[in-house]
This record gives sequence, structure tokens and C-alpha cells, in this order.
Amino acid sequence: MNQDIGPIGRIGQIGPISPIRPIRPTGIPMKKHNIYIGGVLVILLTALFIGQNMLDKTTVVEGAAVMAPRFEVDPLWPKPLPNHWYIGMSIGVACDAQDHVWIVHRPDTVSANEAAADQKTGDCCSKAPPILEFDQAGNLIGHWGGSGQGYEWPESNHGITIDHKGNVWIGGNGTNDAQILKFTKDGKFLAQYGHAGKNAGSNDLENFGRVAKIFVDPKANEAYISDGYLNKRVVVVDADTGKFKRYWGAYGNKPDDKNLGRYDPDAPPAQQFRNPVHCAELSNDGLLYVCDRVNDRIQVFQPDGKFVKEQFIAKRSLADGSVWDIAFSKDPQQKYIYVADGRNQKVYVIQRDTLEILTSFGDGGRQPGQFYGVHSIATDSKGNIYTTETYEGRRLQKFVYKGLAPVTKVDQGTVWPGGTK
Amino acid sequence: MSKPKRSTDLFMGAGIVVLLVSLAICAAAQRKSASTRADQSPMFTVDPLWPKPLPNHWVLGSVTGVAVDSQDHIWISHRGADSLGNNEKGAILNPPTGCCVPAPQVLEFDQAGNLIGHWGGPGQGYDWPQSTGGIAVDQKGNVWIAAAGQPEAAARAAPAAPAAAARPAAPKPQDAQVLKFSRTGQFLLQIGEAGKTEGSDSKTGLNRPVGVEVDPATNEVYVADGFGNRRVVVFDADTGAYKRHWGAYGEKPDDSNLGPYDPDAPAAKQFRTVSCAAVSKDGQVYVCDRQNDRIQVFQKDGKFVKEGFVSKTTKGDGSVWDIAFSNDPQQRYLYVADGHDKKIHVLRRDTLEVVTSFGDGGRLPGQFYGVGSVAVDSKGNVYTGETYEGKRVQKFVFKGMK
Repeated sequence: MNQDIGPIGRIGQIGPISPIRPIRPTGIPMKKHNIYIGGVLVILLTALFIGQNMLDKTTVVEGAAVMAPRFEVDPLWPKPLPNHWYIGMSIGVACDAQDHVWIVHRPDTVSANEAAADQKTGDCCSKAPPILEFDQAGNLIGHWGGSGQGYEWPESNHGITIDHKGNVWIGGNGTNDAQILKFTKDGKFLAQYGHAGKNAGSNDLENFGRVAKIFVDPKANEAYISDGYLNKRVVVVDADTGKFKRYWGAYGNKPDDKNLGRYDPDAPPAQQFRNPVHCAELSNDGLLYVCDRVNDRIQVFQPDGKFVKEQFIAKRSLADGSVWDIAFSKDPQQKYIYVADGRNQKVYVIQRDTLEILTSFGDGGRQPGQFYGVHSIATDSKGNIYTTETYEGRRLQKFVYKGLAPVTKVDQGTVWPGGTK
Repeated sequence: MSKPKRSTDLFMGAGIVVLLVSLAICAAAQRKSASTRADQSPMFTVDPLWPKPLPNHWVLGSVTGVAVDSQDHIWISHRGADSLGNNEKGAILNPPTGCCVPAPQVLEFDQAGNLIGHWGGPGQGYDWPQSTGGIAVDQKGNVWIAAAGQPEAAARAAPAAPAAAARPAAPKPQDAQVLKFSRTGQFLLQIGEAGKTEGSDSKTGLNRPVGVEVDPATNEVYVADGFGNRRVVVFDADTGAYKRHWGAYGEKPDDSNLGPYDPDAPAAKQFRTVSCAAVSKDGQVYVCDRQNDRIQVFQKDGKFVKEGFVSKTTKGDGSVWDIAFSNDPQQRYLYVADGHDKKIHVLRRDTLEVVTSFGDGGRLPGQFYGVGSVAVDSKGNVYTGETYEGKRVQKFVFKGMK
């Protein structure tokens, strides 16, 4: 298991040993010089040996003191929704420039039992609108979404992002969803790219295949589309026109829609993405991190699609896979990435340069800080993490950033204020 | 005589007037203070961090019962693997796919929320429920569990296996029993037998009993019977010997189909779903007639006393799921878990009037989905269990009267 690799090996490689300089003792006759040199060499070698041993020991001690961002759940965030509103599977979260937190959920997944007021069988409750906006205090400050004139609202909402111009993008993973949509923050329709029912595979230049998520690169004004639940590719489009610019599959290969069969952790790594391609997030230094969810891996690319490297996460995870969504830490270097794993009900804290797991938090369950189907993840400007859960988890949760702290556990479990003991 | 008689009469008259006036003022004042008291109700705030996270990646299934014992430990029964999706019990699948593990079906927590006991499951000499119902801890410290499942539940509970080896599980008989264990899980007594349903007049069989509670004064066990039958039935808690039973209004129960509940129709003469039977300290039996949206109150012998409707327009699975008494000596309030409307109603016990309610639908702390069980500890704190996809136990801290 990847969790077992741990950070110790990496620490062992740091701390360069100073090159040995020749030492010439002064005031010693030349004849004896060689003996002295020999003696000094012995001493030096011994010292080096001891030093190396000490270094190994230090490594172990330092290994326990690997630093990583620490988080605690805020159990009372967000505030309860008004109007007896109930949320369904929550399959997207994003933070905007004002640190407002946006989610998209699926009202249609709210059961008759839950939406008893809509069914007129009881007082509680009603389906909330699909797009909800919260302020930092957790108040609901905006809500909209659904069918309208001039666009095809997805059969099954999926993924949300707010771009640098303040526009809201959503995808959709319903059977016929082959489009992405762009709205203003107050829900005014701006653009649709691709059309419902028009999917033509992973080499089509106009439609998508059940899109999971969108990321907009402010520098190049390009949108990266995780495409998706049907297609097996990343697509880059112009963020103003939706015009296709480039696309690629796993390892930067031409995507191929052949059925790969079931994921087998013992087989050689698949040469194509499995469905769904679930995220594609560009770092400040221009690396694109792609969630190949069911293949249990992150693949890293240059913005032009050139493959850089890959890393498996919880590689034995079967079924719906381990790599669901990625968010970057908020330091300028984006030193860490946070990976939501809806199969193992946790969030990994990963060092971005090495892609090593430093620690993780979360566990299965319905209590604060626990997860059932943790699906999406985002960070605000203060470094706080927000997660949403699909399946029957159906929550938005906030994990407050508590600064860097020594890693004491690879698997922290449920992170509560003041601990759980 | 220094005073004439007439003036004495006058004085007496004035005295009487003063007395009457002051009596009237007193009465008015008393009425006022009584109405102030009546306006008060117990207040609660949720403790979002209770109980502590379970160990071993254990997760709860649908919670069907909650009880508090004499040491203020909190007990729950839940449906375990049978109520959990494959994607939340990945660790027990073959091959394992990920997190987590269904927790044992009977769990005991201390006041701090630590898990201090766990047991449950099939064993020698008894029929473990296909689907647990309510849980109770009696005055002797023994634990009672109702068995409320249907055969369909067993099919869902079939262990996941590789497709090639998959075989439909043999249908198990319908739950028709209540079970008694020691607090450490040693089997003590079973009343009824899985698959042996004989209708609402049986002296030996039950039919998907939902709730169970022991009256310490008489050492009798009251069974809310149930999803299948339409009655309350009482047994000796030591021997399991049948004592008596009755239907709505204390009449002989009748199992004929009542059709769907209609809030505008005359009150049904039979119970629909009998989901609780709780005995107050002053010897009244409060019965949850869940889908009829009502509480019926009886004497211990089954004589009907009165009824009160709660959220009478609620359809679907009804409003009166479980009842707990407030912890004051008079038990002045009833807490009614309403799994359909996702709240706890607070009722005056004497009038059965709803004075307030708390909770709302949702997954956040203090919200509910399918709140079906409720219990109170010696400090007045309320504990709730959620079935369906709620799958939680929550604590509401008593904050005094307001």
C-alpha cells in the first residue's frame, strides 16, 4: 500500500555530506608525514563511519518530524439551510476570489422520504436548488440552477468551478450529457459548449462525453475539461469561445475508447484512462494533475499534454477507485496537494514535488469529519479545505487549516477540534 | 355591648368583600404563574462531537433503537451490513475494495461518548433478527432487542461474493421474536420464534415487533407488535409467559387491511404500525401508532385512557415513531421522534399538546433523516437514533427550561 511508503526514505536522501578536504598537519617532519596521513585517514574514515551511522539515526528521528498541513473539521459549518431545504449527492465544490464556497448537488437524488414536503406527505423537506453559494461564515447567500431557455441543463450535474472572470462552469455526467455550461455568478446563462446526446467519442472536436469537472487557467484563458465518464481524455478549450485547442489520453497518448475491462492492481498500468477522468487541475508552475480515478493514479502533464509522471494512490482500491479530486495548498509554491478518496473515505495530504503521501485524514461515517463518498475538494485563500460528499454522504464540510505540524500518523482518522480522545 | 349589631354586620360584609377580592387576585396571579409554566419547555442543543468516532473503521447501519441504562450508558441497535451499501463496507467484500467495516449491531457508549461495549449477531439457541428493531435495558441490567425484519432484508444481507460463486441466499423466515441478553451479550431468553406469525391474537407468536420496554414495577415486558401485528402484548420479563394484549382503544386487535392513512377520515379503530409502548412512572402506557399519527394512552391492564394526534396531516411512514419521558420526577414532557417530519416533538404529558419541536431535515449535526428512536438520560439529555440513510446516534444536551 502506498500509505506504507511513508516519508522516511525521502528524508534519508537529504542532508548532503560535505566533501572531504585533504588535511595537512603543520609542524610535522615529512618522514612521519605519511604515517600521520595514514592515521588521519583512519580517524577520518572512522569518523565518517560514525557520522554515517549517526546520520542514519538522525534520519529516523527526523522521519517522525515530517511536517505537513494539519486540519480540524468545523462541525458547525455551514449553517443549516433555510426553507427546510435538503441537498442531494453533492458532486462539486469550488471557492471563488471572495472566498465564497460554491457547491453543485443533484436535487433529483433526494428521496421521496427526504422531500416529503414536495411530496405533500409531511412538513419536511424540499429539494434545494442545485447551485448553492455560501459565505465564509457558512451562510447561504445565493442559490440558482435548473432548466432554462437557450441551454441544456445536465441530466446529472457534475463539477463546479468559478473562473478568474467570476463565471461559474458546470459539467454533467448523465447518460446524454455531452455539454458544459457557463453562467454568471447570479445564474445568468452565458455559454454552452457541446450538445446533449451528441457524444462522438474521445476524438470528437465539438462534444464531450459526460464531463466530470472544469478548471480554467487564468493566464492562458483556457479551460481544462475532465472528459469524463464516457470519454477518456483531457480537453483544452478556449475559455471565451469554447473552441477545442488540444486533447490527449493517458501518458499523453491519443485517447482510445476501447473497453479496458475491470481495473486490476496487479496488471501493468493501463495505457488509457479509465472512466471517469475525474479532475484536471493546473498548478501555478504549469503542471496539470489529472485524476484517473478508477486506475487509482494521478498523471501529471505539461499544459501541452506532454506526460511528466504518474503516482498510484491506494493502489489496491477497486470498484470506484481512489483518486477522485485534487486541490492545491494555498502557499505560493503549492507545496502540497490534497486528494479526495471517496472509496477509502479520506483526504490525502501529498507532497507535490514527489507525489508522496505524507498523511491523511477522515474515515467512514456520518459524523463531522467523517465521509461517505467524499467526492470533491477545494481550498480557500486561508488554506482551509472544503469537501462535498456524494452517495448518501450528501454534505459540505469545512476543515480548518491549523498550520504545519509534525506528522505523527500516516492515517489520522477523524480530525476533531481538540482531538478525539 | 359597645358596638351595635348593625355595624358588626357592616364590618363583616366589608371583610368578606376584601377577602373575596384578594382571593380573586390570588387566583388570577396563580393562573398567570400557571400559564407562565405552561409556556415553558425543555431546551436542548446538539453536541456535534458526541459520540467519539468508532474504532476499526466501523460504520453504523440504519439505527433502529436507542436506550439509556441505569449507569447512564447509551445503547444502540442498528441493522449493520444488511443496511450498508457495498461502497461503505468495502473492507468486508471479497476481494476487499476499500473502507469500511459494519460495526457490531449492539453498541454501548459511556457518557463521554466512548464505545465501551459491542456485541450481537447469530448464535446458538436464538434467532438473531434479520433486521433489528428497538432496544431496551431493563432494571436488572439485561438488554432486550426487538426483531422487526422482513425476508427481503435477508436477500440484501447476502454476503458479497465473486460473481461465479454468487448464489441467491435461502430466504430466511420473517422476524417474529424479541430477545433478551445479558449486558455482555450472553443469550438469556427469546419470546416468539422467527417465521412463526399467528396474527394479533396469538399468545405465543409475534409479527415483526418494533419496540420493547420493561416495566420495572411489575417486571413485565411490553412489546410494540409491530410492523406485522396491530397490538401491544405483555409478557413476564423473566419467564416470557404471555400475560395480555390489546389493540387500539383497548379493543380486540383485527388484522384486516386498513388501506392508506387518511387524515380527514374518522380515526381508525385499529392500530396501523405499533412502534413503541412506553410505561410512565405513574403507570400509564404510551403507545406509538406510527402511521395513524397518534399516541394512545392506556392503563397497564389495557384500558384505554385517551389519545393525542401529532402532526396529523403527515402521511407516508407517519409521525409518531418513538417516545421518551422527560427525566423530572413527574415526567411532565414526552419527546416524540418523528422520522417522517425529521424532528423531535416536545409534548406536555398531561394534555398531549405539542409545545415545541426541534430538528430539521439534513445531514448536519442536529438535523435528521429518519429519526426513529429517542431516549433520555438521568441528566435530561436526549439521545436519538436515525434509520434510513441517517445512520447516526446524536446527543442533545438539556439546557434547562425556557
